[in-house]
Amino acid sequence: MASLADNKQAGNKTVELATFYVGDSLCGMDILKVQEINKLLDMTEVPLAPDYVKGILNLRGQIVTVIDLGSKLNLADTETGGETRNIIVNSNGEYIGLLVHKIGDVERTEEANIEPPPANIGGIQGRYFEGVFKKEKSLIGILNVEEILKDDGN
Amino acid sequence: MSIQDDETLRLYVEESLEHLADIENDLLAIEEAGADINEELVNKVFRAAHSIKGGAGFMGLNNIKELSHKMENVLGMVREREMVPNPEIVNILLLSSDTLRNLLNNVGTSNDMDIDEHVNALIALTTGSKPEQKTEVKQENIDLIFDNGRMVFTVSNSDLTNSRKKGQYIYLVEFDLVHDIDKKGLDTTELIKRLSESGTILATEADVQSVGTLADFSASSKLPFLMLFGTILEPEMINALFDVDEENIYLLDDSNGFKKLSDDTGSSAMPEETAPPEEKIVKEPEDEVIEDDMPSFTAPEVAVDPSASRDNDLSGQGNIKSSETSLRVNVSLLDSLMTLAGELVLGRNQLLQAIGQKDLRSIDGTGQRLDLITSEIQEAIMMTRMQPIGNVFNKFPRVVRDLARNLNKEVKLTIEGEGVELDKTILEAINDPLTHLVRNSVDHGLENPAERQRAGKEATGHVTLKAYHEAGQVNIEIRDDGKGINPDKLTKVALEKNLITEDQAISMSEKEKTNLIFLPGFSTADKVSDVSGRGVGMDVVKTNLDKLGGVVDIDSKIGTGTTIKIKLPLTLAIIPSQLISVCGERYAIPQVNLEELFRIPANQVKDRIEKVGDAEVVRLRGSLLPLIRLSDVIGLERTYLDGSEDCLKKDRRVNLVDRRAMRSPLKKGSKDSDDIIRMINNDSDGQNEEENSSGLNDRRKESTDRRYHAASAVNIVVVYTGALKYGLVVDELFDSEEIVVKPLGRHLKHCKAYAGATIMGDGRVALILDVAGISQMAKLTSMDGTERAVQVAKEQRMKSQKDIQSLLIFRNAEDEQFAVPLGLVERVEKIKRSDIENVGGKHVIQYRGASLPLFSIEDVANVKPLADKEDLLVIVFSIGGRDIGLLATPPLDATEEALTVDDMTLKQTGIMGSAIIGNQTTLMVNIFGIVEALNPDWYDKKETVMVSDDKAATVLYAEDSNFFRSQVMEYLKEDGYNVIEAEDGIIALDLIKKHLDDISLVITDIEMPNMDGFELTAKIRADEKLRHLPVIALTTMASDEDISRGGKVGIDDYQIKLDKEKLMKSVYQHLKKDS
Repeated sequence: MASLADNKQAGNKTVELATFYVGDSLCGMDILKVQEINKLLDMTEVPLAPDYVKGILNLRGQIVTVIDLGSKLNLADTETGGETRNIIVNSNGEYIGLLVHKIGDVERTEEANIEPPPANIGGIQGRYFEGVFKKEKSLIGILNVEEILKDDGN
Repeated sequence: MSIQDDETLRLYVEESLEHLADIENDLLAIEEAGADINEELVNKVFRAAHSIKGGAGFMGLNNIKELSHKMENVLGMVREREMVPNPEIVNILLLSSDTLRNLLNNVGTSNDMDIDEHVNALIALTTGSKPEQKTEVKQENIDLIFDNGRMVFTVSNSDLTNSRKKGQYIYLVEFDLVHDIDKKGLDTTELIKRLSESGTILATEADVQSVGTLADFSASSKLPFLMLFGTILEPEMINALFDVDEENIYLLDDSNGFKKLSDDTGSSAMPEETAPPEEKIVKEPEDEVIEDDMPSFTAPEVAVDPSASRDNDLSGQGNIKSSETSLRVNVSLLDSLMTLAGELVLGRNQLLQAIGQKDLRSIDGTGQRLDLITSEIQEAIMMTRMQPIGNVFNKFPRVVRDLARNLNKEVKLTIEGEGVELDKTILEAINDPLTHLVRNSVDHGLENPAERQRAGKEATGHVTLKAYHEAGQVNIEIRDDGKGINPDKLTKVALEKNLITEDQAISMSEKEKTNLIFLPGFSTADKVSDVSGRGVGMDVVKTNLDKLGGVVDIDSKIGTGTTIKIKLPLTLAIIPSQLISVCGERYAIPQVNLEELFRIPANQVKDRIEKVGDAEVVRLRGSLLPLIRLSDVIGLERTYLDGSEDCLKKDRRVNLVDRRAMRSPLKKGSKDSDDIIRMINNDSDGQNEEENSSGLNDRRKESTDRRYHAASAVNIVVVYTGALKYGLVVDELFDSEEIVVKPLGRHLKHCKAYAGATIMGDGRVALILDVAGISQMAKLTSMDGTERAVQVAKEQRMKSQKDIQSLLIFRNAEDEQFAVPLGLVERVEKIKRSDIENVGGKHVIQYRGASLPLFSIEDVANVKPLADKEDLLVIVFSIGGRDIGLLATPPLDATEEALTVDDMTLKQTGIMGSAIIGNQTTLMVNIFGIVEALNPDWYDKKETVMVSDDKAATVLYAEDSNFFRSQVMEYLKEDGYNVIEAEDGIIALDLIKKHLDDISLVITDIEMPNMDGFELTAKIRADEKLRHLPVIALTTMASDEDISRGGKVGIDDYQIKLDKEKLMKSVYQHLKKDS
């Protein structure tokens, strides 16, 4: 993401990452991108929509398109269960929900600690990651939300 | 000077734009009034210009100030009657006001814009009373030398450059006052007047003193009159205006030298004017105005950039009025909104309190109150968005005026219903389509005056623009009394462009042909030079209106005019819609697209839904409606509601039906039709394979079949979009509701099936269906539908005429059903059992002053006795010239059935056989048999015509219906004739040829497959060997028309099905005559 890269050049800035599980993998995104996180899962299916669109739902009068991150990242489809959450982001003036398996902690770190994604996640997945944050025991893949939400014309 | 703060500026701009909007129409009115100046009107315009000027001075908008000041000066002169507002002056004023608007719309950069031309033009108006005269006040003159110095023009250089700047060509025309003007009945002043409407006369020279020398020069009696003329008309077209020999027109090139027009017509002195003519087709009329052949003082960049305006046109964005950011609202409306808001707050407080106290009843009441307030607020807020359509209509007088002048047509525009209000967004969006349509009407709809007079119409064409409310929608009509649209021409073009097929064209109605104009890719522009053909961009108009949920329809009569009708919803934000469900999910269908809802009860499904090719259709009031299953289009698995368990189940049978199979249920003995019936029924029992192999009759007997369960009924939503109408098959129908339209996110924009989403009362989201999108996805076009409809209708007709028989159904005992052909029944009377008299061993009843003999079926046939009821029916038949009454019990019903009569199983005296009608075995009464058994003496003694001593005559009977064939054969055999039967005309003809020696008479049905009765007769009459055979037609329909047609081909007699008496008599007579 442009903002992160810019920040990086500007020096050491703290970023807060909202983390969540897509399937088994821990992913994160800049918390400032997140509008809210909720459990609204009563979606209306949209026949003929792209596979990764889980449906649409009503968020206080706004129609929100819900995207299954698992499906979009070519991981397993997210199965809805007790811990499933919808991360609502605002992209280009439109609300979009990202369906994730479960929510993790908020991680605080410095820009400098975020490394570029490893070379071996290429292809479609590679496009969607903009960096990796190493924790003591685990890795957090940082998602490029704008890229994910880009309408790829199908 | 500095520009003041934004708010003030914004207010000023808004106010000024409002003034300008008024100015335009007022100027037009001033023009119309001419010398008869309406001071009040002029004052109004004057004041408007004055306020614009005043504000501009205050804001430091110098250009605006300058321009409005100059306009004010001109208007002042008009007011003082120092100047007559002729079209030219008004035109300059109009163009200036256009520029003023442009400046105001771009107020920030207005000071940098070039307005010199307008200012100069206005100054010219004020300094000289006529623009022609301004040549004299110019200082810098140049001499144009013509034809080796024969003539010298002295004109002002600035005039020339001005003309060129405007993209004008400068021509030198040599009129011959004798030949070109006098002899054509014109006079010079008239000529000058005419020319000055199309351009600028820069100089004229008619030196009478030099006639002598000129005469020498040209060696003929000429009186030359030379004119230097600036116009934007291109060299190719210029002579339409001058109407002189092309030899005499010269074009002034850039180096001020003259060139003969006839030498080089193609070269253009103005390179920027080389835009090919077809570019203008899509130009906005506003630009047409600018392109006007008048002295035009508009910013040249607009005039010569048609491509820019084309973009504007196609994108459907208004460019005359940039969309307003603020709105004027009536104060009283605001007040009522305020009150409502107060009530809303009150209601909320009450509700909160009631909820706090858990007072259910109070919650109920408050809920209702809130409901009421909400709808009122909704209405009031909608009202604030409502704007009179006059806001759009008002620009048309100008558009029409300019266009009419440009095209040399006389047009009167009538506007009705300016007060009709529409939502602001809709109003903005219809601006362009309407402009296009009005322009089309003037440009292509109306003929030029000469043509009109030739056609016997008045020279002035009429265009009417009318808005009115109807059925909760706003209708807009654009009507002209022009030449109309030729549907055949449209069809031809559509065929050439492969938009429709030959077959489709044949089956299309006039109206459908006319509506072809809306097909994408359609244009009737004959040739490139044709400035714009009617039809150009009509599809764009339609698309734009479709987007608004509008419907457009065109109606045209050659020679009398065209009417285009647009139906628009009042608003877009909240729309009434019909809720339906498919596969457990709700969807909304906008009410504008909705025509009707209907439900086919489970037991009628198989009769009403048919399949043609791979398309399902339903018969609806005589016409055929293509069906689309919503679940198929949006790719959902079909479900059905299991009647016994009351839950949704997957419809497993989907896999059993190959929808693409080219099987037709209309073929005989159709196993396929079973498939379709089952498919329609959404039924899914597991016995499909079994059922497929068992016959139709078996299945009918299973009365507990799930397909007859009420839940198997088919719900159809009849929707229409433009010329297209189809039925959408859905699972369930719900209420109609007002829904708030919300747009879908970008990931769902590709789904053509949806127009948006809405939030339902329970908070869930429902999708709004796009009726047009769905029809596209189902590859349904109106033409397809029509074609299929025609095809099906044809086959239906065939089918109905061959099999369907009108029957009267009644009962004798309560549980036995009988039927007689309705055609035999004279009347049905209700009687009381006590009215029956038993006289002389016979039952009679007094009826119309005579005794009507009565009988019941059990008198003859072995059936259960007449039910013991007081109320009885008497079915009166007329047999052998006498009336006879058949006793029966209700219920009585008349029905049309496709019959398969079983004439073996249940046949007995008085009963000709049995058939299944309405799931019940029904005995077919042979009324003749009964009468014969009861009263044998009623009949004349049977006489059979014999060919030889021991051989009766042989009759050929052609009839495709088994029922009739067996019936009539029986009659014939009873009378002792030999019968040869044939199923259709072709077989009949073969048989006749084969048994020529035996056959002495032909009886034929008229409606038969392969070869009908008419054709058969014609063939018989055409054959030398067969010609002598008498032919009797036996038919259900014997209209006068049929009879005369039959007479022509040589049918000897017409008999109506099924009057045995008469038929036999006719047979007898014809055979007798023949032998």
